[in-house]
Amino acid sequence: MAGATASSENGPGVTPLRYLPRVLFVLGKGGVGRSTVATALATALAARGDRVLVFQWALSEAIAPWFGLPPAGIEPCEVAPRLYVANFRLDDSLRMYFVEHLRLGTFYRHVIHGSAVRRLVEAAPGIAEMMFLGHLCWLTTLAEKEAGLRFDRVMVDTPASGHGTSLLDLPETLGAMHVSGLLGSEMARVGQMMGDPAWTGAVVVSLPEELAVEETLEVVPRATKSLGRPLVAAFVNRSAARFVEDEANPAWLLALHDRVQPRVFDSLGGIQSDLAGRLGFERRLRDALRGATQHGTVSLDDQLALGSDGSPRGIVTALAGSLEALFAGAA
Amino acid sequence: MTARLHVLLGAGGVGKTTLAAGYALALARAPGRRVGLLGIDPSRRLKDALAVALGDMDAPVPGAGALRAAILQPAVSMRRWASEACPDPATRERLVGNPFFRAVADRLATATDIFAAARVAEWAEHDPGLTDLVVDTAPGLNAIEFLTRPERVAAFLGGRLISWLRWLAPGAGSTQAPGGLLRGGARRVVGGLVRIGGSRMLGELADFFSLIQGTFTRMIGRVQATERWLHEDASQILVVTSVRQDGAETARQLVGALSEAGLGARAVVVNRALPAGFATEGALVEVAAADPHAAPVIRYALAYAAIQERVVEGVRGVAGKTVILPDARGLDGDGRLEAMARIGTLMRGGLE
Repeated sequence: MAGATASSENGPGVTPLRYLPRVLFVLGKGGVGRSTVATALATALAARGDRVLVFQWALSEAIAPWFGLPPAGIEPCEVAPRLYVANFRLDDSLRMYFVEHLRLGTFYRHVIHGSAVRRLVEAAPGIAEMMFLGHLCWLTTLAEKEAGLRFDRVMVDTPASGHGTSLLDLPETLGAMHVSGLLGSEMARVGQMMGDPAWTGAVVVSLPEELAVEETLEVVPRATKSLGRPLVAAFVNRSAARFVEDEANPAWLLALHDRVQPRVFDSLGGIQSDLAGRLGFERRLRDALRGATQHGTVSLDDQLALGSDGSPRGIVTALAGSLEALFAGAA
Repeated sequence: MTARLHVLLGAGGVGKTTLAAGYALALARAPGRRVGLLGIDPSRRLKDALAVALGDMDAPVPGAGALRAAILQPAVSMRRWASEACPDPATRERLVGNPFFRAVADRLATATDIFAAARVAEWAEHDPGLTDLVVDTAPGLNAIEFLTRPERVAAFLGGRLISWLRWLAPGAGSTQAPGGLLRGGARRVVGGLVRIGGSRMLGELADFFSLIQGTFTRMIGRVQATERWLHEDASQILVVTSVRQDGAETARQLVGALSEAGLGARAVVVNRALPAGFATEGALVEVAAADPHAAPVIRYALAYAAIQERVVEGVRGVAGKTVILPDARGLDGDGRLEAMARIGTLMRGGLE
């Protein structure tokens, strides 16, 4: 789409990422466009030939419907060429782990599936999170051999930022629980995945709005500490930096005063000052995050101002176009 | 319950927290009210606006009449409830030191809905003069998972497995195995669990379940009390969306999930709406075509108005009422308390 570009703090245009981990956690508060950005990143990577999975953990899977398909389950569903979507569910993941991976079908049916143990598994803290990370690990290692699923990249659309960062903490949390046995070896593998910078990384999505910026500035240090290394990048979704004047009452607005209904004029003034207000929040975020992520802060234009119809798929496509340059040099 | 419960649900970022605070402020201005506001998100806006150090226990909000506010902190609630249920200091210490307890209390956010539900009933127990409790919630369907999957709550205690595990717990109560414990099914299950997680983890898990039982029993009692309170006629559930397609979709799913749990939503609230009439202003299109500075802002406004139309159409008739609220101004500056109260008063008017 015309006019859709991303810009990093190194000036206009896009500095390509130097490297990109195979598994990327996309963190961010609810409503900032986490799924949109995760899917746009995946679409841009798929466009250069990667097979990419967007792996979600949602009560109700939302991305496949953007592509006119029914909500996806745990089996990856190809929604566009080389672009796959799946949604984690504890039941399915337990079944796949014991029956398909460990080949312990009888054990699963008699011990795990029995209602007493299932209820314990649902209630015991950390089990669902452990299975989520274990599944992620499997998807990027054994899934090709065991299920014919090969993904070059996985974008993890985390439930909400609190929850998302608690996933990054999990190896440490479980480390304190003295786990051994199957869960112990699974955990060691997950720890290896989370500790390897070429395997796992995280990005954060924010909005140029007060609450989102505040939350992002809390999430970034927390996630950096949990991961033990800086985040790959930060994204400012719905940026107005490239098209709005930093002015509450620009001349064109004042000239409209006598031409439209007063309530329309007032609301338009409100929109102009909201969009102009985003400039300040975006600056605050950029300044506070300078040097805090490996790549810097990448702005994504608000597509509503650039002629998008506002449909999620249209926005994803436009953003993906602007993100392709970001991946030009990524190994 | 004599007090009224008001619960706001909705997708993340639609303005639930602001509307909950505004609504509580508006209610607290009526004479004879004693209003509580329970938030789940320690956002700076709420702290700034209410000008109060919000903690897990409720505190009065200066300048807001009979309003008291609190922010849910599961770790703090959990420790308080554990103390309540374990009067013996040695037992309490063992519980607080258990790695599973620490994980539940500090790290894992999956059970926020259950904590919030228990906290709601606890508030009513401690504050008999309360007339209204306004509750902000976690985003999306997560907030009502405790209603839609009650087995998750009961799972903490129910069933034979937990009693087997409790028997395994070192030094916790019974020294006699329940009849036939390590025969048949029990042996297989416990053996299987050792194979999965190792015997040390199983021991600690067993210890955890044994020590936590009293705490969980009370917690489940409170969750059930909140559920009963929600079902009372005077209680109202308000589902909030902003001018966003995904927000409207979440609102519809929430109403559906509520109705499966035998609950109706009083209203769907569409937040941050533009006034009608944008689409018919020809001058906007002319100016956008002629002036490159104006074009992106006007395109944005027109796209927003078009989305609004689809959102309102999509939620109309889904609940008893559809309340349309304008974007609140002045939430970030001085006088933010007034600005919140204004939008809350509008919402209150719309609901009547």
